Amino acid sequence: MAAESAINFEALEAQAGTLVETFKIAGYEQVAPAILQPADIFLDQIGEALRSRTYVFTDLTGEELCLRPDLTVPVSRLYLERHPKADREARYCYNGPAFRFQPGGRSRVRPREFRQAGIESFGVTDRDAADVEMVLLATAAVQQAGLRDFSLRFGDIGLFFALIEKLEIPERWRRKLGHYFWRPSAFHALLRRLSRGERPEAESPIAGFARTLDLGDTARAEEQVERYLADNDLPLLGNRSLSEITNSLLDFAADLEAPPLAKEIATVIDYYLAVSGSPEECVGRIAMIARGAGLDLDDSLDRLIRRFDSFRENGLELSGATFASDFGRNLEYYSGLVFQIEVPALEDGSQIAGGGRYDGLLKALGAPDDLPAIGCAIHTERLLAAVEAMD
Amino acid sequence: MADTVLTVAVPSKGRLKEQADDLFEKAGLGLHKTGHERGYTGAFDAFDDVEVAFLSASEIVHHLRAGRVHLGITGEDLVRETIPDVDACVSFEVPLGFGRADVVVAVPDCWIDVSGMADLEDVAAQFARAHGRRLRVATKYFNLTRRFFAKHNVSGYRIVGSVGATEGTPAAGTAELIVDITTTGTTLRANHLKVLDDGLILSSQAHLLGAKEADWSGAAEARRNEIVAKLKAAL
Repeated sequence: MAAESAINFEALEAQAGTLVETFKIAGYEQVAPAILQPADIFLDQIGEALRSRTYVFTDLTGEELCLRPDLTVPVSRLYLERHPKADREARYCYNGPAFRFQPGGRSRVRPREFRQAGIESFGVTDRDAADVEMVLLATAAVQQAGLRDFSLRFGDIGLFFALIEKLEIPERWRRKLGHYFWRPSAFHALLRRLSRGERPEAESPIAGFARTLDLGDTARAEEQVERYLADNDLPLLGNRSLSEITNSLLDFAADLEAPPLAKEIATVIDYYLAVSGSPEECVGRIAMIARGAGLDLDDSLDRLIRRFDSFRENGLELSGATFASDFGRNLEYYSGLVFQIEVPALEDGSQIAGGGRYDGLLKALGAPDDLPAIGCAIHTERLLAAVEAMD
Repeated sequence: MADTVLTVAVPSKGRLKEQADDLFEKAGLGLHKTGHERGYTGAFDAFDDVEVAFLSASEIVHHLRAGRVHLGITGEDLVRETIPDVDACVSFEVPLGFGRADVVVAVPDCWIDVSGMADLEDVAAQFARAHGRRLRVATKYFNLTRRFFAKHNVSGYRIVGSVGATEGTPAAGTAELIVDITTTGTTLRANHLKVLDDGLILSSQAHLLGAKEADWSGAAEARRNEIVAKLKAAL
C-alpha cells in the first residue's frame, strides 16, 4: 500500500507548487526545516495538550526526538540558527510534512501525516503592516489554489491584554486573567471567585503564616519564609527559588486582605468577551463598552479599525467575516491578531488555514528579546478537499 | 481435556502473582501449571475447559484490550493508563483487595504556597515567567496525568518520562513535581515531597477484569460467572 503522503500525491504537489510560488513572488524565501525536532525544546513550547498528539520517540543514543506536529516552531528555530541575535527581518515560506496522532481515527481531512504550507514573518517592526500583509497573502494563496468561497474569522488577543491593562486591578490578578484567557471555563470560574471575594484557602494552615508576612518588604518576607522552612524541616529542593515561593505567598497573603473585584469591572470583562459578530459591529460594541467603563482603548481600537480598513482597501471581501473577542486559536503563544480561513460546508476539517501574531515565542526559543513575528499555516489536504468539493 | 472455552491471564511474577495464587487457593480453584515447570500455561482443577496464561502485568492489559484472553488479573492503574477508552474494552468484574496503590500528584514540601491543583497552574505561570519553560512532571503515567491535569485546568506543564526512582527527580532537578504510586507515603516523605490535597488521581487495586472483545459464546459466560462467584466468596 502506498504511503499516506502519496494519497493525492500529484494533486497535492501541483497545489503546493501554486502556494509556494505565490509566497515566493511576495518575497518569502522557501525554507525546509528539519522534520525531526528535539522533543525537549519543542514540547516546552507547545504543551502537553498537543504533545498527546505528537509522535515522540527516543533514538539509539537516548536522545528524545519528535516528528514535528507543526512547522511554526521549526521555522522559528531555523530563523534563530541563522540570526542568533534575532536582529534581522526575514520572510520564510515552506511546504512539508507534519505529523499528528488522530485520537478519533484518521480521515481524509484528519490524516496523521499531512502537509503544511505556510509563511512566517520575523522582525517586521511595523506590526500593523505585517498583520495586513499576512492575512492578504494567506487569502491570496488559497484563492490562487482555486478556493472561491470561504469565510474569515478574526480575534485580537492584544486587545484583550490592552483592556485588562487599563482596568484598576492588582497586577497579580491581571497576570492570572491573562494566563487563563485560552481556557474559558477556568477563566470564568476565576472571575466569579474574584468578584465574590471567595478565599477558598483562608482557613488553611499556611494562611496563618502568610498573614504574618511583611507585604511591603519582599526582602524581609523572604527571610521570614526562609526561617519558616528551616523551622519546619522543609529543605529548599528543586528548581523553584526561595524568592519565587515568597512572591507566590505574598500574592496569596494580599488576596486574603483584598476587597472583592468590583462588580462593574467583572461585568466589563464579561461583556467584552461576549462580543462577536461582524468586524464593524464588534468595533462599535467594544468602543461602547470601553466608553461606558471610562477606559481609554482608543489606540488599540484604532489599530483594529485601521487593519480592517486596509484589508478592504486591498480588495479583501469582508462581508462574511466574523470577529470574536474570546477567539484565541487555543495556542497560548499567540499575542495579537489571530485569524482562520474556514469553509463551513466541510464541517469536520472546515478550518483550512490559520495564523496569528506570536511576538513572545522567539524569546522562549532562545532569542535575546521579544521579536515581532506573525505566521500562517495552510492544511493542504483540507484545502484540496475544499477545492474539489466546489467543483 | 475438553476444548478451551475461556482463557484467564494471571500475573507471571512478583507480589501480584503471589497474592493471586493465594486467592485462587482460598477460592478452591486449584491453579496449577501445565506442561513443564518453567512454562507459561496453567489450568484449574475445578474446570477442564479453562486455560490459564501466565503473563506480565502490562501484557495482560494488552491481551484484555484485544480480547485475546477472556479474563485477567492486573492493577487498575495499568488498565486506566494503557487503555484510552477503558469502559468500551474491559469490565471490572471483581476488586481483589490486594495490590493497593494510590496514584498521586506530589510536589516538594518546601512549596508551602501550594496545597491543591488550583495552585499548580498559578505556579506554572510564575515558573514560565521566571525560567522560560513549563513545569516538568516526572511520571510513567502519561495518560492518567494528562487527563487529571486537564480536568483541573492545569496546562502549563510537560511530562518527562520516568520509569524508576521517580520520587528523586525533584531533588535532582530533572523535574519539578511527580505523579507516582504510593502506598504508605513513607518514600514520598523521605524525599521531602507532599501529596496535594486534591492530588489523588486514582485509588488503585488489583481487579479481575473481563475483555469485552473476547468471544463470549458457548460456555464462556457460564464459566466466567462461576469463577467470579468463587473469587467473591473467597474474599
